[in-house]
Amino acid sequence: MLTWLDQRTGVVTATKDFLTEDVPGGASYWYAFGSATLFAMILQIATGIFLCFYYAPSTSTAWESTKYIIEKVPAGHFVLSLHYWGASAMIALVAMHLLQVLLWGAYKKPRELQWIVGVFLFIVTLVLGLTGYLLPWDLNALLASTVAIRIAGNAPVLGPMVLHLLQDGDGISTLTINRFFGVHVWLMPAALVALVGAHLAIFRWNGPAGPPIDEAPKLKPGRFWPDQMFMDTVLSFGIFVLIVALSTFSPVPLDDKADPNNSVFVPYPAWYFMALYALVDIVGSLPPWMVQAASLFATIIGPTLLIVLLIVLPFVDRNPSRRLTRRPWVLGLTALIMVGAIGLSWYGQNNVVTGQLAHNLIGPNAVPTSAQTNAVQTAPAVTAAAPAGTSSAGGGGGAAPAAGAGASVYGANCAGCHGATGIGQPGVFPPLAGNPVVTGDAKAVIHIVTDGLTGNVTVKGATYNGQMPAWKGTLTNQQIADVITYIRNGWGNKASSVTAADVAAAGK
Amino acid sequence: MAHAEAYQDPGTPQEQSRRQFMAQATIALGGVIGISLAIPLVVSLIPSADASNDAWSGLTPAEVDMLKKATDNTPVKVTFDVHETNGYFGAVDTEQFVWAIRASDEEMMKARPDLFTGPNKLPYPVVNMGFTVFSPLCPHLGCRYAYIPAQKKFLCPCHGSVYSVLGVHEAGPALRGLDPLPLRDYQGKVQVSWILYQANTPAHVVIQVG
Repeated sequence: MLTWLDQRTGVVTATKDFLTEDVPGGASYWYAFGSATLFAMILQIATGIFLCFYYAPSTSTAWESTKYIIEKVPAGHFVLSLHYWGASAMIALVAMHLLQVLLWGAYKKPRELQWIVGVFLFIVTLVLGLTGYLLPWDLNALLASTVAIRIAGNAPVLGPMVLHLLQDGDGISTLTINRFFGVHVWLMPAALVALVGAHLAIFRWNGPAGPPIDEAPKLKPGRFWPDQMFMDTVLSFGIFVLIVALSTFSPVPLDDKADPNNSVFVPYPAWYFMALYALVDIVGSLPPWMVQAASLFATIIGPTLLIVLLIVLPFVDRNPSRRLTRRPWVLGLTALIMVGAIGLSWYGQNNVVTGQLAHNLIGPNAVPTSAQTNAVQTAPAVTAAAPAGTSSAGGGGGAAPAAGAGASVYGANCAGCHGATGIGQPGVFPPLAGNPVVTGDAKAVIHIVTDGLTGNVTVKGATYNGQMPAWKGTLTNQQIADVITYIRNGWGNKASSVTAADVAAAGK
Repeated sequence: MAHAEAYQDPGTPQEQSRRQFMAQATIALGGVIGISLAIPLVVSLIPSADASNDAWSGLTPAEVDMLKKATDNTPVKVTFDVHETNGYFGAVDTEQFVWAIRASDEEMMKARPDLFTGPNKLPYPVVNMGFTVFSPLCPHLGCRYAYIPAQKKFLCPCHGSVYSVLGVHEAGPALRGLDPLPLRDYQGKVQVSWILYQANTPAHVVIQVG
């Protein structure tokens, strides 16, 4: 049977040829990252194809069909979760593979082109991650993608054109979803498969690079099949088990449907963009005169330079030695960038958590009706961070007030500016926790809530210039009384309660 | 084979046995991955049951008036809504239509005796309240046929099946006449049951109700 097939197609001979390959110095688990990346790609393509049986890209169907996949399709949530965690795994593996080749100097002559194709594969993988992020069309998808698209739109000269090209119009619309879908499902996978083909073909031409020593080509060769293939499969299997476990115990979340008018949802980037997210945040707090230039550097110039640096690396670093000890500059720079990326990611993650706490999306006072599900909140670190954030920023440090009518009025109307834990926003909205005005004369507090407040306000030496709207007419006297009682007794505050009669009396 | 030096030395018996294990383990692990991935992927394609489909669809007063326009055996198109599941849009009302004629039992029995006796006998009245309503789907392969008033015939555009106004198959490839659908007066409300019959068979084989 196989002979019959081989005589007519040569497929058996070709497979044998492909598997018969020397591995300098013998097989090693260190060489398995490339294959594991390939496995993750195959997993993504397989699960992606099956998701296409249900997913429909448009503003009226993207979220609905994703929800349908999660709730109605048999094993649908599991397949979607495989795709979600598989994406993380693929990006992590690409990054590890790239880092290893970098550390081991395997990009050097004659493997420059294999390296460059690899850098493009890295970019394609990131584009897949970015475009896939919009497709579920939930709150996070819209806001995170809005930020990404606007960043691209700020590029010098080409920015506005790129913005229109990405959005297919003046705003993020149904055409944008279609566009991202086309890129995510057809264009990038096609590029991916073509580039992987080139990557492997060049790899076969040069053979494996071997360990990071200068005598690698002279080492006693080991076998690709079955020795290396076995190790590749073991690593891939381990990763598959991990992805299945994550998909089972931490399935992909879906936030509420995208709503362009929602202004309290705090978007969270995928972890692989967390460092860039943090960088955007940091440059935003620089002195005003340098924010624009610094932003441009952080979002466009810096990342572009990094990619260019990766591409030209084999031509700049012409030192033929692959020994780690003889390459201090490249390794030092790599270490610096890695430390920076990890530090920024950590900072960014903390930022997301703080923001979500302030907007009641997570934490002890979370509003149950709002979109609750996101990957960040399930992390144990968040629960640990919540009390710390409350006490340090709020200044009160007391237990959260008991939930009640006042708490829900506060969550729905006040938390957006003053924060779920009453911490306010520096320079704009004063804190309520530990604020002597809040716990002072009840009539003054009633007056502020019913009639609003404009102009500068000073609380404990800090100035705030936000606008407090007048709530009479919007809230009933009872609601105003409830919410004032709530803020006067929350977050460590202690003051008298207020009744609807008090509010009515103050209004006369 | 550009780089195959390692394969020239077959190695010691221990090495050979080790390689045999690795080859088998590779295939086994690959198989486990393949099967555990294939199962959820294939399972995800299992169609969901349309639980929300109603067996009977009620006609609005305006639709009943449409039905009553059938005063003889000149066919009248009667539209109505069928409540059915439409994927992630959930349960929606989809507009359907049937062809109605006014007919008597004797008339239909004479024209379509197979619907009343024998293996193709329908389990519901062919004529009810003085009307027969035909499914608008051609029994050949499911296209919607048209009524041609000049010839007083039903004509299917797809493959040219021709039926009389009483639904008798007269020409073309169809294997049976037009399918009457159940019509009833239920507690003062006129209702039609939307039944999908298997195409291109002489017998009435129910595929789906509602």
